[in-house]
Amino acid sequence: MRSNLLRITFLLFACAPLSWAAGADSADTHEYRLSNGLKLIVREDHRAPTVAHMVWYRAGSMDEVNGKTGVAHVLEHMMFKGTEKVKTGEFSRLVAAVGGRENAFTSRDYTAYFQQVEKSKLDTVIQLEADRMSNLNFDDAEFLKEIQVVMEERRLRTEDNPSSLLNEAFMATAYMSSPYRHPVVGWMNDLQNMKAADARDWYRNWYAPNNATVVISGDVDPKQVLQTVEKYYGAVDAHELPVRKPQIEPPQKGIKQIQVKAPADNAQLTMGWKVPKLEPGKLDDVEPYALELLTGVLDGYDNARLNRTLVKQEKVVNDVGVGYDMISRGPELFLISTTMAKGKTVAQAQASIRKALEELKQKGILESELKRIKVRILSDQIYKRDSIFGQAMEIGSTEMAGFSWKDIDYMLQKMQTITPEQVQSVAKKYLIDEGLTIATLDPQARQSDASKESK
Amino acid sequence: MPALRNALRIFLLSFGVFNSAHAILPIEKLDSYNGAKAYLVQTKTLPMVDIEISIDAGDRYDPIGKSGLADMTAALMNYGARGSEGALNEAQIADEIADLGATIGLSVGGERATLRIRSLSRKDLRDRAVKLAAAMLSAPAYDPKIVEREKQRTITNLLEAETKPEYVLERRFKKSVYGDYPLAYSPSAKSIATVNAVDLKQFHKQFYRGDRMIVSIVGDVDRVQANEIVRTLLQKVPEAGPAIAKIPGLPRSAVEPLAQREVQIPFDSQQAHIAMGMTAVTRSNPDYFPLLVGNYILGGGGFVSRLMAEVREKRGLAYSVSSYFAPGKDAGIFQAGLQTKNDQAALALEVMSSTIAKFIADGPTPSELIAAKSNLMNGYPLRIDNNRKLLDNVSSIAWNDLPLDTMDIWTKQVEAVSLEQVTNAFQKYLAMDRMRIVVLGAKR
Repeated sequence: MRSNLLRITFLLFACAPLSWAAGADSADTHEYRLSNGLKLIVREDHRAPTVAHMVWYRAGSMDEVNGKTGVAHVLEHMMFKGTEKVKTGEFSRLVAAVGGRENAFTSRDYTAYFQQVEKSKLDTVIQLEADRMSNLNFDDAEFLKEIQVVMEERRLRTEDNPSSLLNEAFMATAYMSSPYRHPVVGWMNDLQNMKAADARDWYRNWYAPNNATVVISGDVDPKQVLQTVEKYYGAVDAHELPVRKPQIEPPQKGIKQIQVKAPADNAQLTMGWKVPKLEPGKLDDVEPYALELLTGVLDGYDNARLNRTLVKQEKVVNDVGVGYDMISRGPELFLISTTMAKGKTVAQAQASIRKALEELKQKGILESELKRIKVRILSDQIYKRDSIFGQAMEIGSTEMAGFSWKDIDYMLQKMQTITPEQVQSVAKKYLIDEGLTIATLDPQARQSDASKESK
Repeated sequence: MPALRNALRIFLLSFGVFNSAHAILPIEKLDSYNGAKAYLVQTKTLPMVDIEISIDAGDRYDPIGKSGLADMTAALMNYGARGSEGALNEAQIADEIADLGATIGLSVGGERATLRIRSLSRKDLRDRAVKLAAAMLSAPAYDPKIVEREKQRTITNLLEAETKPEYVLERRFKKSVYGDYPLAYSPSAKSIATVNAVDLKQFHKQFYRGDRMIVSIVGDVDRVQANEIVRTLLQKVPEAGPAIAKIPGLPRSAVEPLAQREVQIPFDSQQAHIAMGMTAVTRSNPDYFPLLVGNYILGGGGFVSRLMAEVREKRGLAYSVSSYFAPGKDAGIFQAGLQTKNDQAALALEVMSSTIAKFIADGPTPSELIAAKSNLMNGYPLRIDNNRKLLDNVSSIAWNDLPLDTMDIWTKQVEAVSLEQVTNAFQKYLAMDRMRIVVLGAKR
């Protein structure tokens, strides 16, 4: 369950099962729009003299086209390779000099860059980040080295990692036409054939103030921040973005199955069902909230249903995990992933999962189970505020999915109103074979033998 | 951007001027109780509290042949315990934690086991979380049926881990670098199979006592409340027990010919994984700061380190490459590592080795030293800007017997580091003819 979605509101305290102390107030958050289309969101948090500065581009791997998968992520790497004013590697050196921590990440939905600094250094990183929004300028030699680094990243995280291979095959099977079927890092063959020009095209297409949201959280004065952001980001020209085709996944008409053979000791099983997500402007849809709570009922704490029955009682699986994101740009899946217990088969695990789901569909869930998950969600919102960076992450990812940070409070209230019957109802409606994809990892012996080591 | 480069010097000069609203929060020493020391940092802005109990019961105390015992002793504490109102089974413990909106986490490192509680600070919720943790800490059940189940799960996980390059590399590297020191031995299916409920109870009885514990608290509680938390946590814990033999210190890695120090492990992964390192220093060593600053330059400083420049930026050989010191109460180790596709393994190892060798021989340049100090000093506020990070700091200060003003003087200590100190410290503690090397996957 993605817990970075929601936070406490004052309104909620009145109806919460326990009464909680103060959380963030929307008066602490300020939203501005520059004339070039750039959106700025400032979250004031004066607990410590530090700031998180993030820029989010609404361009992720779902915006890529066939043959160029991975280009969003490759460009993320190239963004550190220099502009007309800041030569390659200099960006990181300048951020380091002011004591900053920095990095970037690419997902199916977006690409984001961030720096965390002591508050007096904020202007420096804004200046640097705004510069590379429009002035990126790397040469082919830099690209040729960096694409090797990206292929090493793919080898490390995917090629030599059976769980990642399984997940990659699972996504490519669950989706026929949605670009969600491609891995964010890209297929190896696409990386091998990628050219510097592909990365430059991507940059020219999608990196523009009218496709970006800047989120700044921490010990700042919003008016001052706005001035600095106007000065640097305001100087960047807007341009027209490419047309985004909807690429809606056609309805699934029955079970899909795939098997992956890879070096491992134990079989793994992933089951995923096509389910709805929350749509912007339709915050009153009950089903996405019910699905979020269902993940908690199944897997939200040590004694939750699947862990209790499958791991502890039946001992049929060694581990179990449940996943669903209510908020995303693309289509959503409800996922159950397991590794087998020693001597147990995938068929036995699947039967046990189906039995546990069937029981939930037939008999429903207890009010006490659901309340436990709601309490967890509420307390997480307090704990979340311990991290300035976490708050910027929450705002940015929500915005990228097409929602406003202002919706977050409403979603939290809505979550607390969901009933056991509504949770049972989404399980009955969506956890059915028509929309199910099953992927299994068939473990193969690895040709390695520590006894053959040589000195 | 010349303006930015000039700014660098100004930042260095102006550092340390925190405005008064953000003075570094003081660590208060609480009353010792039942043999345990306790510390508090009060932070009032969020209605939550983080509590950690460090127990001198880490992996280094695993008996020969029973590697994994210390891990399991801690990990099984939340699967049944005797509380003030009777026995609690694992389901009741899990439900109670969830109902409170709290988390209770257990982990074990080489030196210490830790139990961490995160709770809302409201008294009724906080009290219940602390009572629950007290029961786990003082009277875990170690029900033989659950012990058997968890042994099987652990063995299954270990067998899976043994198919992963990073795990096999790390296990072999530990064996090489730790020699006869207890941390040389990693848990295996065989060692876990020998552990039973009696072993767990015995290990718990022997090590989980007040005189081996330190409590650190950060959050929205005052001194009186914090003292009360400590008393509740440790009320049922014995104050002391029979003397436990001290573990002999970790000796310096010996000079050996390369053939004795380097191990090749055949492995059919796409990438070779490489580790290199040797034993180093304790956290309380006076050379800690020169080594910290120096390692930032060599391989600790993210995208701007020498290893990153040589291996990744100039040659595109690896996605990640780094080095670090892991100092503790005992001498810890220095370790560097990378992953690269198999046919580049020899080249990558050569680049990594020569980069480290050159740094030991010549030390940093003056501009590298300025850049490193600038980063560490300007970035210090980011190391202490929330409760979780403060807890990490307080607990490390307490565990390593560092002065309570460690956070206040940290940047001054960085600032005082000279070029000669860095060069001398690296030459004193590191040497290429002592480095243990493990290369996994590469075919020579």
